[in-house]
Amino acid sequence: MEGSLKNNYGATFKKSPVFFILTRVVILFFIIIIIFPLLYTLSLSVRSPDTVYSARYFLIPYEFSLQNYYDAFFYAEERLKVSFPRMFLNSIIVTTSSVILIITLSIFAAFSFSHLRFPLKESLYNVMIASVAMPAQVLLIPLFYLLIYFGIINTYTAVILAYAGFLIPIGILILRMFFEQIPGELTEAGIVDGASDFQLLMRILLPLAKPAIATCVILLFLDTWNEFIYAMIFMQDPTIHTVPVGLAKIGTSRYHINIGTYSASVMITIIPVMLIFAIFQRWFIAGMTMGALKH
Amino acid sequence: MIYKTFQFKTLIYLLPALFIFLVFNVLPGLTSLVLSFFDFSGFETNLFKKFAGFDNFIKIYEDKYFWIALKNTFLFVFGAVFIQTGIALILSIFIFFGNFKFSVLIRSIIFFPCVLAPVSVGLVWKKILEQDGVLNSILGLDYSWLSSVSLVMWLIIMVNTWQWIGYSLVIYYAGLQSLNIELLEASDIDGANWSQKIFSIVIPLLWPTTILNMILNLIGGFRAFDIVYVLTRGGPAHYSEVLASYLYYYSFAAGGPNKMGVGAAVAFVIFACILTIALARIIISKRIERN
Repeated sequence: MEGSLKNNYGATFKKSPVFFILTRVVILFFIIIIIFPLLYTLSLSVRSPDTVYSARYFLIPYEFSLQNYYDAFFYAEERLKVSFPRMFLNSIIVTTSSVILIITLSIFAAFSFSHLRFPLKESLYNVMIASVAMPAQVLLIPLFYLLIYFGIINTYTAVILAYAGFLIPIGILILRMFFEQIPGELTEAGIVDGASDFQLLMRILLPLAKPAIATCVILLFLDTWNEFIYAMIFMQDPTIHTVPVGLAKIGTSRYHINIGTYSASVMITIIPVMLIFAIFQRWFIAGMTMGALKH
Repeated sequence: MIYKTFQFKTLIYLLPALFIFLVFNVLPGLTSLVLSFFDFSGFETNLFKKFAGFDNFIKIYEDKYFWIALKNTFLFVFGAVFIQTGIALILSIFIFFGNFKFSVLIRSIIFFPCVLAPVSVGLVWKKILEQDGVLNSILGLDYSWLSSVSLVMWLIIMVNTWQWIGYSLVIYYAGLQSLNIELLEASDIDGANWSQKIFSIVIPLLWPTTILNMILNLIGGFRAFDIVYVLTRGGPAHYSEVLASYLYYYSFAAGGPNKMGVGAAVAFVIFACILTIALARIIISKRIERN
């Protein structure tokens, strides 16, 4: 589709050499701006400790070495009592449990909003929409005491429940819209065949809602994996730090840290995300766009 | 609708999500408003023991760093709403109409920082902006960028724009793909050149997308915390504090005042800002509907 659009109204855009050169210059400039900081950090992280302060054209190391990555693992454990494998494990536990919990509850709730009747439905829905705009920090202090009161502060559960309370409205929003787009004939046919409400949801709606669920999973994955302030305050025990919290500790610690070790620590958190993005990039872009358009 | 009337047993679908939403979102949200009228610190068990009236609000009113944080938040929001949206508009139009061979790849590259943790992004830029960082090497300067009271907020805005420009870009791109092409074809026949097309056809047609981007960035701007925290911790001397980091400093920061009630008052201010925006949005959209 993109190609045919271009042929249609690219005509005068194509003809203009000024436009042609302007677009190339501007886009190249922005691509360099985007890529340079990441390449530079990567470059710092693979320089040998002796050559860390110099490189050809700021980027190409004189001597390659993975020493910094070894040092990063040791530095984190020796100085700050956090370890990268542990941080990743914590993040994986928190992220997968949150996403599964939020998706499951959102599916059922969205179904009741789209296909069932109950009192005060639209008022409740409006409250949920309004809550999406609230910054997470507004809830920070009362949540902190609530989690202490429940005796779950400093556990995975604390953060998982906090994420669930904060993100369930977004899940319901996206899934309700999607469920309502599914043609009524399909569910009516199911009702005629004597299917229960549960069977309608599981056998008819869910299989059709796979793209919407994928969208939700991506949005929720990004939100929970990258989340910082709840994870920092509700899980202060270093053994359960998530990746952003542990990394922030390394990056802002008062101890001296070699610039190569620092960069390797940052790259350890960026590289896995980069690989996942490279595989699923279309899904990420589509997911985040859809998430935005449904606000 | 599956049933013609309300069936009590079907509440089972709603209740688990509703319960978590009420207990971990609505309840703390409302409590936050109440707590801003109480005086309490991090170690107390009964938060409602000392009623403080408007003391917390008076305290932040008299604190010059609160006003700096408020001003910085508005500056940050301004940057997100106008600078980020503006650059994204230009980039999306250039990529869409530029007949690039690798337009998908270009979009992916510009979008990539959006999937990174703001903490990672902040730390990448922190090293670049430091006095012995690469920016000074490239420019041949010896300037301590993040210690500059006048520049620090603009640098934070720049880093934030660097991370989120791709987000506004892909939303614009979706808008461009659903553009009505007939007007453009008509202007082709009329012999309009590329700049006339962009300024008098494409940008006006993209207006709804521009509004959407601005609203998303407006709301997102009030959330800013992570980048400020790792880049400057609100420094130098609280001059890059935003409302969220000011709240953190007052309530949780090690070595901070540990005044949770004051933090709750700051949360009240953030709440009020967002509420004002939400109401303004409803009023404006109703007025547009009427016209």
